[in-house]
Amino acid sequence: MSVEALRERDPRLSEPPLAEPPEAGITLKSSEFRRTREAGWRDLERLIDAAEKRGIRALAPDDLQRLPLLYRAALSSLSVARAIALDRNLLLYLENLSLRAFFVVYGPRSALLAGCTQFLRTEFPAAVRGARLHLLLAAVAMAVGVGVGFALTVRDEAWFSTLVPAPLAGGRGPESTRATLLAQEIFAPWPGFAMALGIMANFLFSHNTVVGILMFSFGLAAGVPTILLLAYQGLMVGAFVALHYNRDLTVDFLGWIAIHGVTEIGAILLCGAGGLVLADKMLFPDRYSRVDSLARHGRRAAEIALGAVLMFFLAAILEGVFRQLINNTPGRFAVAAVTAIGWFLYFVRPFGARR
Amino acid sequence: MSSVEAATRLLRGHARATREIVTPEGVTLTVELAEYGERATAFMIDLFFWFCGSLLLFLTFMILVLRGWVSIFAVSILLFISFIIRNFYFIHFELAWRGMTPGKRIVGIRVIDRQGGPLLPSAIVARNFTREIEMFIPLGILLSAGGAGAAIPWERLMLAAWLLSFVVLVFVNRDRMRAGDLIAGTIVIALPRQRLLDDLVERQASFVFSDRQLRAYGTFELQVLEDLLRRPDAPGVALILGEVCSKICRKIDWREPVAEGDRLRFLRDFYTAQRAFLEREQLFGRKRADKHDSPGDARP
Repeated sequence: MSVEALRERDPRLSEPPLAEPPEAGITLKSSEFRRTREAGWRDLERLIDAAEKRGIRALAPDDLQRLPLLYRAALSSLSVARAIALDRNLLLYLENLSLRAFFVVYGPRSALLAGCTQFLRTEFPAAVRGARLHLLLAAVAMAVGVGVGFALTVRDEAWFSTLVPAPLAGGRGPESTRATLLAQEIFAPWPGFAMALGIMANFLFSHNTVVGILMFSFGLAAGVPTILLLAYQGLMVGAFVALHYNRDLTVDFLGWIAIHGVTEIGAILLCGAGGLVLADKMLFPDRYSRVDSLARHGRRAAEIALGAVLMFFLAAILEGVFRQLINNTPGRFAVAAVTAIGWFLYFVRPFGARR
Repeated sequence: MSSVEAATRLLRGHARATREIVTPEGVTLTVELAEYGERATAFMIDLFFWFCGSLLLFLTFMILVLRGWVSIFAVSILLFISFIIRNFYFIHFELAWRGMTPGKRIVGIRVIDRQGGPLLPSAIVARNFTREIEMFIPLGILLSAGGAGAAIPWERLMLAAWLLSFVVLVFVNRDRMRAGDLIAGTIVIALPRQRLLDDLVERQASFVFSDRQLRAYGTFELQVLEDLLRRPDAPGVALILGEVCSKICRKIDWREPVAEGDRLRFLRDFYTAQRAFLEREQLFGRKRADKHDSPGDARP
């Protein structure tokens, strides 16, 4: 609808007729200016008040249509007033009104649910795709860790206790036998729903989530601690693999870890990649200042980290429930393969439309 | 000058640090940064709401479902619920209320994009999610470690240093950004409401001033006078008005004595004449910032 058509519908938008003829005596241009425009400002102020109090949805369709026009009119009034008026209160008022209207007109559009949906459907995979190289670097760092951890531990199992802290080892170590590993770890009995739920609820404060979040935020320290943490996670995995390799349990152990590990290690790598994005954009800001560069890309990096935390949650469900329910190695590998394919389809979108 | 300074201090109070944003229409708007105290207060209020909310939900949850084995999992489930609530609380309100949470709304501050662009959902997610890293997770570990009493001292020291470094960050950057703001590209501003007051311009003047007399002052002095005239009832203003009146008389060489009852009218007339004069000069390109400025000076 054109402005003219709107004006015809709503007389308040057109120039108001002069309410009172200017009296003889002093007339200031700025006072005349204020007298002719004030109705529009008051109208906008009323709309903004309502929108701030009850949300923009509370406005009537008519008011909604007028809002951007009134906002532009207020901005133009501000520009004129800055040129011709010296009334400080008027200038402050117009600036304040324009600012408040600006936040209503250009405020965030989406609600929580729509925002979450949009995040999961497009933003998270797009952010991950944008960080391919960082993801690759994170994977390399972790793979080096796995290789070194395996090579060290497979020859001398004393390395296991050095690399893996006691709470994580959970009683496993050089003294574990094949039988105890099989009975207590790989094919441990189903502990009951309560215990499984407990593990799930505890996921946030589990070791991996904290490490993942640390990895992300250590990106602010030029990414060096991120790389070190990634390599260290690899070292621990390598040490575990070596321990089982020496007891001829490699395949069963890989199945035991892969059922949730595909998701969990993926999430760790994503956190690391997010941290590396931060480090990259801070160290090499391109043509922006470092702070601006960080702001431009930090949102993407934080999206990756947030998505990774959701992945940790899924991994915890897989670990707490599915691993105990599926008590055989082929089944576990099958679930692992399904999750791997699922993540691939989700992130890479070979068939669907990308944004 | 000293009375002008005193008046400025009295009337304008403590000036906030300001930043400029440019709207998509190309107009520069000035925003005022929120004070540290305001932000801390808003956060405390939000924390209180969050605590009440999660406690309520946890209690219902406990009564409804977990009669038997509460003791084992109570803590982890409480932590889980509070995590969900606190993140969704901040993100939901900042989305729905355009950058405000209940705490921020009570205090009168809000989150905006640093460049003046729209506040994107991803920015809101980023700045609130970082809050976890900055505060809640280290604090949680620190508190739980304190409860257990078994943590290694240097580990706790590191966590405290970690927390402290994020607190320090807010104080050492110009825009008072915390780490989340840095990553999301946002700043927190105060937006007190400004009211439009009546125009002070008089239609009929009883005192008439010559152009020569009106050249004595500039915009700054005019606006200080405006501030004074806008609140003649404030304590101390009557005294200042008298002083200002006699000062102006001396400066512009006004010979006739101004009666005590006429002072306000004299000042309003002077304000009107001065503003008319300065606005006219400004239109002709001779803007005068203050009394030390010579007309036609190219001042930014």
